[in-house]
Amino acid sequence: MRKNGSNTKTILFLAALAVVLLFLPSVLTRFYTYILSLIFVTALLAMSLNMVVGHGGLFQFHHCVFYGVGAYAFALMITKAGLPMWISFIVAPFVSALTGLIIGWLCVRLTKLYFGMLQISLGSLIWAIIFRWYSLTHGDDGIHGIPMPDLIASTTSAYYFIFLFFVLCLVVMYLIFKSPFGMTLQAMRDNPDRCAAVGINVRRHQLTAIVLATFFAGIAGVLFAVLERTVFPDLLFWVLSLEVFIMCLLGGWFTFAGPAVGAAITVALRTFVGIYTEYWTLVLGVLLILLIFFLPEGVMGFIYSKMESSGQRDAAGPRGV
Amino acid sequence: MLSIDMAALGSQLFVGLSRSMILFIVCSGLSYVLGVLRVPNVAHGSLYMIGAFSAFSITKLVAGPAGFWLALILAPLIVAAVSFVAERALFCHLYEREHLMLLLFTFALSLILGDLVKIIWGAEYKSIMSPAAFDGSITVLGASIPKYNFFLLIVGPFVALALWLFANKTKIGKIARAAAVDREMVGAVGINVSWVFAFAFVLGCFLAGLGGALVAPTVSITLGMDHNLIIEAFLIVIIGGLGNLWGAMVGSLIFGLTQAFGVLFWPQFAIVFPYMAVVIVLLWRPKGLLKSVW
Amino acid sequence: MSKNRFSGMVLFGLVVALSLTMLPALSEARNIKVGIVDTYSGPPAVYGNDALNGFKLALEEINAKGVLGGKIEFTTRDEKFKVDVAMAMAKELVMRENVDVIVGTINSGASLAISEGVAKAEKVPFIVWTAKDEKITGELGHRYVFSTSENTAMGGKAGGVGLAKLPYKKYWIAGDDYAYGHAIADAAWRNLKALKPDVEKIGESWWKIGEPDLVPYFTAIKGAKPDAVIFCTGGASMTNALKALKSTGLAAEIPSWIHTAIDHAVLKPLGAEGPEGVMGTIQYLFYYPQTPENKAFVDAFQKAYGNPPGFPAFNAYITAHLIAEAFKKAGKIDKEKFIDAMEGLKVKSPVGGMVEMRACDHQAVYPMYFGKTKKLPEYDFVVATDIVTLQGNEVLPTCEEIQAKRKK
Repeated sequence: MRKNGSNTKTILFLAALAVVLLFLPSVLTRFYTYILSLIFVTALLAMSLNMVVGHGGLFQFHHCVFYGVGAYAFALMITKAGLPMWISFIVAPFVSALTGLIIGWLCVRLTKLYFGMLQISLGSLIWAIIFRWYSLTHGDDGIHGIPMPDLIASTTSAYYFIFLFFVLCLVVMYLIFKSPFGMTLQAMRDNPDRCAAVGINVRRHQLTAIVLATFFAGIAGVLFAVLERTVFPDLLFWVLSLEVFIMCLLGGWFTFAGPAVGAAITVALRTFVGIYTEYWTLVLGVLLILLIFFLPEGVMGFIYSKMESSGQRDAAGPRGV
Repeated sequence: MLSIDMAALGSQLFVGLSRSMILFIVCSGLSYVLGVLRVPNVAHGSLYMIGAFSAFSITKLVAGPAGFWLALILAPLIVAAVSFVAERALFCHLYEREHLMLLLFTFALSLILGDLVKIIWGAEYKSIMSPAAFDGSITVLGASIPKYNFFLLIVGPFVALALWLFANKTKIGKIARAAAVDREMVGAVGINVSWVFAFAFVLGCFLAGLGGALVAPTVSITLGMDHNLIIEAFLIVIIGGLGNLWGAMVGSLIFGLTQAFGVLFWPQFAIVFPYMAVVIVLLWRPKGLLKSVW
Repeated sequence: MSKNRFSGMVLFGLVVALSLTMLPALSEARNIKVGIVDTYSGPPAVYGNDALNGFKLALEEINAKGVLGGKIEFTTRDEKFKVDVAMAMAKELVMRENVDVIVGTINSGASLAISEGVAKAEKVPFIVWTAKDEKITGELGHRYVFSTSENTAMGGKAGGVGLAKLPYKKYWIAGDDYAYGHAIADAAWRNLKALKPDVEKIGESWWKIGEPDLVPYFTAIKGAKPDAVIFCTGGASMTNALKALKSTGLAAEIPSWIHTAIDHAVLKPLGAEGPEGVMGTIQYLFYYPQTPENKAFVDAFQKAYGNPPGFPAFNAYITAHLIAEAFKKAGKIDKEKFIDAMEGLKVKSPVGGMVEMRACDHQAVYPMYFGKTKKLPEYDFVVATDIVTLQGNEVLPTCEEIQAKRKK
């Protein structure tokens, strides 16, 4: 479906981008290295959400619960159970995925808005537990100063560590996106009834997608804890979930890379506009309205349509990278 | 375990009912917009907040009970005007687009309105007092309830009735209901669907403003009051059945009463009550309690 | 003069001139940069603004004379009461703006996060000026964090001491369901029970922060008939709580104590309709004590900002003077010397007397006031009366207690 020429072009572009990103810490000041690391973490979270929203069409309104659960599992294993960081790092995303399995299983019987609302309620219950269980989680005081091994302690080494896992996860997500599983998921988004008629178990498929997405959200949560060395209940609050949802829409939720772009824009805006004014929510609101009217397919969606119209890509086929 | 006597139980029942009516008054507009435009209006909380702040300003200009009653009339109109401008200038161009865009628009609007309130009114805490006539409590059937809450207990059903009469007995109300279900048909019959939606949206926002003005004497008027409300409002409207007015009433009753009685029996864990109620309802009845309007 | 000699003199002149231009670069007087992270959006914004105003007022006086040849300048960042935004902003202030001192915030979680993740990690002094979590200078305190705010340990002790003098035995405890609410409840109850062992807790109620409708909770409490109630509400819910206290008649029937209930920011909007007879504690009142220093402070503040100062302004004013005096004592803009200079430093309090920055835990020491609300004819709003002053040393945990907590 895709011309060989544009395939090679894409790979070259990505390779160049990767090289640039690898060299950036040596030319940027520490602050910009930190912000880039934060963008990678947020982008991973947004991409994981898009696995079920953009590709699956599910109203995953409280995705951050799984992000927060991953972060807290990681933090608690290190600080309370005294487990080594590497073990906690591996186990925590599975805790997120397990939570995703349980909540997903309860929600998947419902559709659309009801799915989203039940998820918000169940997610908020988990938030309330973490918030209230002070002796374990320290509630809204949060857990701070989580010890990290010296190997990844500095700003630059944390950057490389996060970048490494960001790229790994993206590759795996892309493979899932292009796989028969991913294709079926998108088909179910567009026409669930026809898929069911063809004999596909829609519910089970969606549940699998949810478990995968929440696993990646858990990884994002762990990476956040590595970067900031702190966890707090805001990570599971519905406001953050809504923000991540908006990032997907901003970047283009029908594309693969869109959410990452949306995350980058949101984090950059919040940081740099926030330096100059306290009214950056107003700025964000105006930007979103401009987006709705002029760039309804999101930033990446717009870029892809421009590329299509100038004949650089094959117009047929789904919007992959 | 605390010893509960009948008077306390009765008090809680009335307080719960008045809380339900407060919730219903505030949510009725949200439910109506959801019913006709099929869009959850995320800006509903911000419009409610503008209603409360406008009522505050009006009571500062016109002192005494006159100011209060004037605020009840003017504040919702101010909110309706704001929503009308937003609707005609921007929102109406999106009706042909998919629902997620409409939702995103209302979210962007809520961000803008939230900061506008800060710019116009500032950050200090504000408060309105209900007219002196409502001071103190009254005793009904042995239970005591603040007079203003009792007033809201009466107003709630009136609002419900008025909205129901409008939606079902007036021509425009019936057209709106039809447009929710089949807008092409309504357009084919020669009715301007865009104006029908405009009207419904503005009415829903009017109700948000009315809710803000009515509730203002019982709460502190601060920035961020839109956030405190919006999740509960959405949960109520969802468990009641999308767009169903009586569903919103049932949802409000469930929320208000579970909170009032939960507080009596299990007061340390009050923050989980609304979520528990929704989880139980949605697991038992995944499509909401009453039939969805579309 | 020969050509060689002339060029030699020119060359020598150039070298001298160049060296002179380089010298100021080494010992040039520069401004002291303070980075402020606080909440300027949402319900806590009123406190963020008050603190900033107090800080700016102090800076006017300080910058008139200057510090170490320069002025103190500041820049603010709005964290919107979110911990992750606060962290990112604090890092930006340190890594990009290169501030000498970080100051802020009202959010306890953010204060702890910044204290650990930015102040300690980057070795930049951080002064907390509104957040009330006792852990900040208690068990999680360290060399790089200071507090000019009163905390839950102080507030709880002030409440406990005040209530122990009263005859009430059966208590109900209620409040906002978050760390601050529970901390102040624990501190107050602990102190009350220690001073008056026969008090009994007959029940507890906790509601979500920002809960708009407290009427169901208060009617339930009325039904339980305690002798007195200890309320643990944060600033955001306080006005709501006071309104509901009046409308349900709870204020008239059952005495209650709320830490910071007598804060003017929450009493002012209620005007004459504020509840009477409610007990509260606070570290600053613009109308008490009526010292000439307090009057001058209030007048200057009122003229500059249109309303009287609140406790955040009091804290921030002290913070500004501590920063100025500490740098002066240190002799240069050096973070480690600044910290050494801060320990044990005493500055003038806006109400008269001195405020000390205690060396053992980096906590500012000043008195707390315990009073009861009442409507007086000379004000449009309810004020605190029957005020009892508790000296700083009476309400702060001792240095030994702090050291013990930090060792755990």
